[in-house]
Formats: sequence, structure tokens, C-alpha cells
Amino acid sequence: MSHTQTITKFIVDEFLPDVPAESLAADYDLLSGGVIDSLGLLKVIAWLEDRFEIAVEDLEIAPDNFRTVAAMNAFIQNARQAA
Amino acid sequence: MLKEWYEVRSPTSLPGPRHRAGARSGTELAHASSCGVPSAILPSTHGWPDPGKRTPAERLIPQRVVGVQHLFSAATGRPPAGSMATTAAMRAQLPARSFVESFSANARRFPEAPALIWRGEPVSYRELNDRALHARAELGKADIGPADIDTEPIGLRCAKSPEAIALILACLMDQRSFLLPTTTLPEHTLQELFLRAGCARVLNVSGSSSGRCSDRLRSFSPDPEAVTFMLTTSGSTGLPKIVPLSEGAVDRFTDWAGAQFELGVGHSVLNFSPLSFDLCLLDIWTTLKHGGCVVLVEPARATNTAYLRDLLLRYDVELVQAVPIFYQLLTQKDRDNTAEFASVRHVIVTGDSIAPGCLAQLPGLFPRARLYNLYGCTETNDSLLHEIDPTQAATGALPLGEPLPGVRALLVNEDGTIRNGPGTGELYVSTPFQTAGYLDPPHQQSRFVAHPDGADALRYFRTGDLVHRHENGSLTLVGRTDFQVKVRGVRTSIEDVERVLGSHPDLAEVAVVAIPDPLAGHLLHAETRRVPGSALNTLTLRQFCVEKLPQTAIPSTFHIADDPLPRTATGKVDRHMIIRFHERRLT
Repeated sequence: MSHTQTITKFIVDEFLPDVPAESLAADYDLLSGGVIDSLGLLKVIAWLEDRFEIAVEDLEIAPDNFRTVAAMNAFIQNARQAA
Repeated sequence: MLKEWYEVRSPTSLPGPRHRAGARSGTELAHASSCGVPSAILPSTHGWPDPGKRTPAERLIPQRVVGVQHLFSAATGRPPAGSMATTAAMRAQLPARSFVESFSANARRFPEAPALIWRGEPVSYRELNDRALHARAELGKADIGPADIDTEPIGLRCAKSPEAIALILACLMDQRSFLLPTTTLPEHTLQELFLRAGCARVLNVSGSSSGRCSDRLRSFSPDPEAVTFMLTTSGSTGLPKIVPLSEGAVDRFTDWAGAQFELGVGHSVLNFSPLSFDLCLLDIWTTLKHGGCVVLVEPARATNTAYLRDLLLRYDVELVQAVPIFYQLLTQKDRDNTAEFASVRHVIVTGDSIAPGCLAQLPGLFPRARLYNLYGCTETNDSLLHEIDPTQAATGALPLGEPLPGVRALLVNEDGTIRNGPGTGELYVSTPFQTAGYLDPPHQQSRFVAHPDGADALRYFRTGDLVHRHENGSLTLVGRTDFQVKVRGVRTSIEDVERVLGSHPDLAEVAVVAIPDPLAGHLLHAETRRVPGSALNTLTLRQFCVEKLPQTAIPSTFHIADDPLPRTATGKVDRHMIIRFHERRLT
């Protein structure tokens, strides 16, 4: 499974359990769509850190990095390259 | 990482323990010494150390200590060795000092003292005053009415920033009334509110900083009846109530809070809440009235624990007032060490249900602080205060405490009679800080009533909170007379959320339940049945919610079913069963 699929599956399982994963577009705005609020964001970040073994620095907890599945994917790629 | 970022952004170090001693009386100095601040670095009451030896941060601070002391002792009427409670009680007897006059005096007397900290940078009283004058000039240019200053209210769509605070200051200086709604409300709700408040203009804050402005203050004369702030209730219906506050109400409150929590020049206060929350009347507006420094938490980073810890430590914050989630974040076990915040002298939790486990950790986290439970509503502002015994911080429900000076509190039975002894009733309060009533239609005025026995001529606010009076006279919160819970510190009506969801054409049945949550206080869960043939799912329903509800009122979880909701024998929706089903699905 690609990172994008893995992330989509997590988001759907966690926040949209009745939604087929393929119907959540990678560029869907999860924040303004009411899917993830700031508490949900903490949950997502904890999962990303754990699942992809990256350390999300506190400074990087900018909502824009986690607005869409695609943004999360890009964030992981960058974090891994930097490591 | 965070530390480096701050050092890059903030080349001049900021208020340390040294600067704040200048305005203290002898008793406060003794307290500061006992707080672990080495007495050698505290300036004597005769004046500051040789200016040549001071750091850049210290040069920000007023040097004429005698003048500062004079101002504050004369202005607050504080007896040299008086207890805080006595001082606050005495304060309540005196005419209120004007916020605007006090702020302007601060800007004249100690222009370089920091008024705000924003993104690692200090904003001095002089700068803030200049920005406010600039904003006044801008406001004046746009006045279109025949009078000198338009009397129509102004709508403010302001996220937190120094510019937004300057704009509010400008309104206060001009005695304009302004509506300051929560910015996260849905767009159509905001428009409706501005319309209903009669706002002739709605202003955004651009975020660009203004230059100095030579405009001089037009003569300001206090008018206790003039409405300035118009705040809103949380409004989970999408139609929040507008709560106008008079200049006098704000002046009286900021006097009380300043004396109660010993605010003065150089004292740092953390501001966690959004600018539109009533809590800001204490942590922003009381602080600015008394010459202190407001350390502003950026809303986008408000759930970032390391950031919050850094602010507390870096700026020697002395007063913290926040909703439970703030304390939950600070006390949760995670990768960071558990720092102690020794500079903090007052920690205020705000009447919410705070988890006992979290509360128990507060004395350790803030070893030098006095802990308080402060109860209030937007309509009345703070009403009851309880000082928490740190050795008993973990036991049972927190008492609500005693009425503040000038506040009357009653317990009223269901039949409208007053309950004098132990037992449960609805809490009615009357405070010197309260609104004269909602701006909204008259039927909502039923929340403001006369004394049930006619024992006095005060106006009481029916809080809707069910309160229990124990044998020993102490009060604790039991629940609500309506279906309201607090989600992340925001009062949210379950019935209203149900009504909004029920308006979706594809939903046949809706029930919303509140699930206790250690971090948020409560989370909402919506159990729904869609109409036959509907393709509605959580994604589209959440999108619908975003358009209709404030963020905290959007349920955290949804269950969309095609089967009817469980009902009790009497035909009511079985909420207990829904909670059980929900919990079973989670495991």
C-alpha cells in the first residue's frame, strides 16, 4: 500500500467509518470539511509519528501540513528525506 | 528547536523576574523572594540599579519606581499590608476606574513597558497606544454619519493579534459599541449577527502594522452606561445571543480582577482564549488596565504543548486562566519532561468539570501558585470564586466558592421559591459586571429576572446551572436545567445540535449524546437514521455541519443507520442505549 492509501485508510477508519476509502480524494480539505478538528489533529499526528517513524517537531504542527491526505504524504516524504 | 526559533525571532530577551518587582509593595517583594527569585536581583524600593548595568529587557521597564508605586497605591486604594480579599472587597466599594483612562495613563507613565508578547516579540504600551490612535484615525475617516463619531455599532472580525487589540482599544477610546463574535462561526451566522446588532460597518484586521500616528486623544470622559463590548454566547443553534456590556460593567470587573490577582506593571499574564471569549476581560483587558504584559497564545498553536510550556517559562508568566483542555495538555504524559512553572502565582480553572487526575497534578506543575475555581457566564462575568486547597486538589467535585464582592447568588427551587438550606436548585446570580440583558428579542429576556421574593431591586440572571448546596454551605455544580454540556470549554446545547442536524433533508431521526472525554470535557456523538434511498454519509454530513454549526458543536463521531433509533417504553429516544451502542462500536 502506498503512503497515500495508508493515510486515507486511517482517516476513513478513524473519522469517516461509513465512507469508502476510494471516495475520499487526496486533495479533500479535511479541516474545512469538518472531518478533523484540532483535537483530531493531535490524534492524526500521533499516528503519523508512530506509523512512519518520524518525529514531528512542535514547530511543524502547522495545520496546513495536515490539511489533506496529499499534504500529509508530502510531509512524511520531507521528514524522511531530512532524517 | 522551539527555543532556537524564539531566540532567532526575539533578539532582545524579554521580561525576566527583575523588572516586575518595581511596582510591588513590601509584602509582594517578600512573596517574590519566597518564590525562589534571588533577592539580590530584585531592585530595592528606592529605585532601579544603575541603568548602565541593565539588560535591554530591563531598559524596557519604567525606572521611576516611586512614581509607579504612587500610581498604583493611589489608584487601587490598596492598603500596604491588606489581604487580597480585603483589597478586592474595598475595591468594590470605590467608584470604578475607567479602563481607557487607566490604559492611557499606563502608556504615558511607562511607555516602554511591554503590553503584549506576540510571536516572540514585545509590543510596548507606547506602540500599542500608537496603533490604537492610528486605528481611531482610520475609524474616524470612515465615519459617514452627521455626528462626530458614528453611533452605529461596528462589527469586528478579528482573529487574535496586536492589531486586533489596537482596534478594540480604538473602539473603547471612542466609546463605540462593537460586536466581537467568535470568528469560527459559520459565515451566514456571522452575517446574521452583524445584521441583528445593527452594525453599520464590519471591519477585518489586515495584519499589517501601522506606523506612528500624531492624532491626539480627543477628550475622553467615562460614561458607565455606554455599551462598548458586545460579546456572543456560544450559540450552538447558529443563532448566538448578543451580550452587550457597558463601560461601567467592564470597569468594575477589571478593577476587581486586578486587585484580586495582584496585577501590576511588569506582571505577565497568559492569554489562552480566543479574543472573542469573555475570559479575555480578565487576561487581556484587566492586564492592560493595570500595566501588565499579556502573553498571547497563537490560536493555531493552542494545542501544542511544548509551545505552551515554552511561553510559560520564557515570559515568567504569573497568572494563568484557561479552560480545562489547557491544563490537560500541560499535564498529559508525553515525550517532554514535566517542567515546573515556578513563576506562576495564580492558576485559575473556570468552573468546568476538570478531570480529578489533571487537577491533582496542578500543585506540582505550579508549585508557587494559588489555585482557584472561578465560576462565571458571559452574561454576568465572573460570579463565584473558590480557592482550591492544593492538598485536597483531587477530591470530589470542585466547590464553586463564595460570591465575589458585590455579587448576590441564590438557589431557586423548581417551583420558583428560594432554597436557603442544603439541597439542589438553579443558580441565580446578580453581579456588578453583568449585561443589562440580551440585545435579542424580548422572549430571551426571561433569563433576567427580579429577586423571586422581591427582597432586593437587583436583576438576577438565571444561569441554567443546577447547583447543590451541601450541609457545610459549600456549592457544587450538578448539571444543567437544559441539555447543555461543555465541549472544549464552550457551552454547547445538545438540543440545538439535534435541531440543526434534524434540518438535513436526508435525515429522518437524530439523537446527539455527550460522551465524557478526558481532554475535551465532553465529545458529542450523533446517532442518525437517514431517509430510505439516501446516499448520505459522514463526509457529506460533516460538510453540512461546517456550514451550520460552530466547530465545537460538530459531533466528533457520527453513526448513520437505516434502522430506527432505540426508544424507551414511553417512546422517547433511549440515550443510554445509544451511548452503550456507541461504546460497543468503539471497542
